Amino acid sequence: MATSTVEPSTYIAPPPAEETYYEAHEPTILGGGFILAVFAVWELYPAIFGLSKGMKLFFATPSDIIAALYSLLILNEKLPMVGTIWQHFNASTGTFLFGLGLSIIVALPLGVVLGRSQTVDAMFDPFITAFNATPRLVFLPIVLIWFGVGFWTVIAIVFLGAVFPLLINTYAGVKNADKLLINVVRSFGANEWQINKLVVLPNSLPFIIAGLRLAIGRAILGVVVAEFFGGTEFGLGVIMVQASQSYRVDILFAVLIIFMVVSLLITAAVKQIENRLSRWRPAKIKTF
Amino acid sequence: MSSYISAENINLTFRPKNREAVTALSEFNIDIEQGQFVSIVGPSGCGKSTFLNVLLGLIPPNTGVMSVNGRTVTGPGTDRAMVFQEFGLLPWRTVAHNVELGLELQGVAKGPRRETCQGFIKMVGLTGFENHYPHELSGGMKQRVGLARALASDPDVLLMDEPFAALDAQTRDIMQAELLRIWHEAKKTVLFVTHQIEEAVYLSDHVIVMTKRPGRTKKLVPIDLPRPRDYEMRVSPRFNELKLEIWNELKDELSVGGDEDSGHA
Ligand SMILES: Nc1ncnc2c1ncn2[C@@H]1O[C@H](COP(=O)(O)OP(=O)(O)OP(=O)(O)O)[C@@H](O)[C@H]1O
Ligand SMILES: [Mg+2]
Repeated sequence: MATSTVEPSTYIAPPPAEETYYEAHEPTILGGGFILAVFAVWELYPAIFGLSKGMKLFFATPSDIIAALYSLLILNEKLPMVGTIWQHFNASTGTFLFGLGLSIIVALPLGVVLGRSQTVDAMFDPFITAFNATPRLVFLPIVLIWFGVGFWTVIAIVFLGAVFPLLINTYAGVKNADKLLINVVRSFGANEWQINKLVVLPNSLPFIIAGLRLAIGRAILGVVVAEFFGGTEFGLGVIMVQASQSYRVDILFAVLIIFMVVSLLITAAVKQIENRLSRWRPAKIKTF
Repeated sequence: MSSYISAENINLTFRPKNREAVTALSEFNIDIEQGQFVSIVGPSGCGKSTFLNVLLGLIPPNTGVMSVNGRTVTGPGTDRAMVFQEFGLLPWRTVAHNVELGLELQGVAKGPRRETCQGFIKMVGLTGFENHYPHELSGGMKQRVGLARALASDPDVLLMDEPFAALDAQTRDIMQAELLRIWHEAKKTVLFVTHQIEEAVYLSDHVIVMTKRPGRTKKLVPIDLPRPRDYEMRVSPRFNELKLEIWNELKDELSVGGDEDSGHA
């Protein structure tokens, strides 16, 4: 590229062009418009082109799905399977929170200890590396044998999914903690517990939050997978399996949308927490 | 032994993983009486910060004995506090909260803690910045927070690692005067590392000149200027004689680039 040599004194900036409404909102308009278009085609396709009898069985239009959502969520109607959607939703939420909570309780302290103590690190490292490299579903049959069909198997699957990203990120964050700052608080008399509280944890917070995000995704995945196979009576995953077996595509999509919305809400909540906890950081590195 | 701070034959070699070992201190000796103001000058990388860290109790020496007030140093203690060369402020704490660190760890209640620290924040000229975070401060301001933090914890021995290096000349003069006042009033023992010979002479009872790495005490220069010191003293003939004496000791140790090829163990 040629370097332009415009003298600052003679250079006159062109007047800023008036942004049109479209230019200012282009991404929103394009994104929103495209979604609407997709929904329109989806809705109108069967009406215009018709569907074969076989296809009809596997198809649900957006209006079918909205109707299903309305009757399930608002009217709280009984499902063709067992219970209402809210009962299943609550069961899944409970599993999610319990499994994730358990993984946080285990991963945070363990990550700090591993990061701070070279002895413990050396002892546990091979296990963690091996477990983390193994796809979590491989554990499912073992977990099923050990915990039997039901609640604890589901919890174990969620826990196994969530604990490693959190553990590994906490560990990385702790390892990364600023040596100078640790020495500073030590010099003012801090013990190991205070060092962790005053320096190590705040210092590794960006890592922990990133790990938490991953862990949440894995936990949701764990809830669904475990409910597919785990043999509990209630849970959104259970409905999905049953809806798919009875060709209730509208219910299938309704549950899928519930998952999407919940995941988006959780992501937004984590972002909020992160912003609140990182007020002290210069704005430009706030988005970790 | 009557001396208050004493280092006896301290040897310290850093052995970083996958890198060559570096001997920072070799047969290092020092004797300082209580209440003295002692400056340390020496080439960059000669082990000044390392020695302060040994005295602070952060790095145990390989051999030799470090003691303060008759007790062997085995770790940090509230009798010593350091103004760190790289500031070492906790970035997630406000100025006020940073200054409170020492008292907080000593278990002082929030009310009195706030009050004491407010005084030191005022002293270093940072009133109005109590609720700022370190990333919102200039280098000189950060250094003053570090100074206030060390003073607030009220140590008997104050270790200062180039504490005024990031300050502009005027603020430096003011801080020097404040430091002398505090030292005189609170009867502290001060160890002050600096690269400025003039600053060392102006503040100190003794100036220690260190050799290049591995650092040893090369010469102890007593500063026989009367106290209280004032600004005019800096142009007195005796002041300049002392400066020259220290410079002559120091200049043989300064070899550009020579830091890398000496002292490897
Ligand atoms: N943690 C460490 N690991 C390895 N080597 C170190 C470490 N700390 C210091 N050193 C080495 O020890 C030597 C002395 O370092 P020190 O920081 O004490 O120098 P200094 O006299 O304070 O220098 P300056 O005036 O530039 O601050 C240097 O060669 C440095 O590279
Ligand atoms: Mg140094």
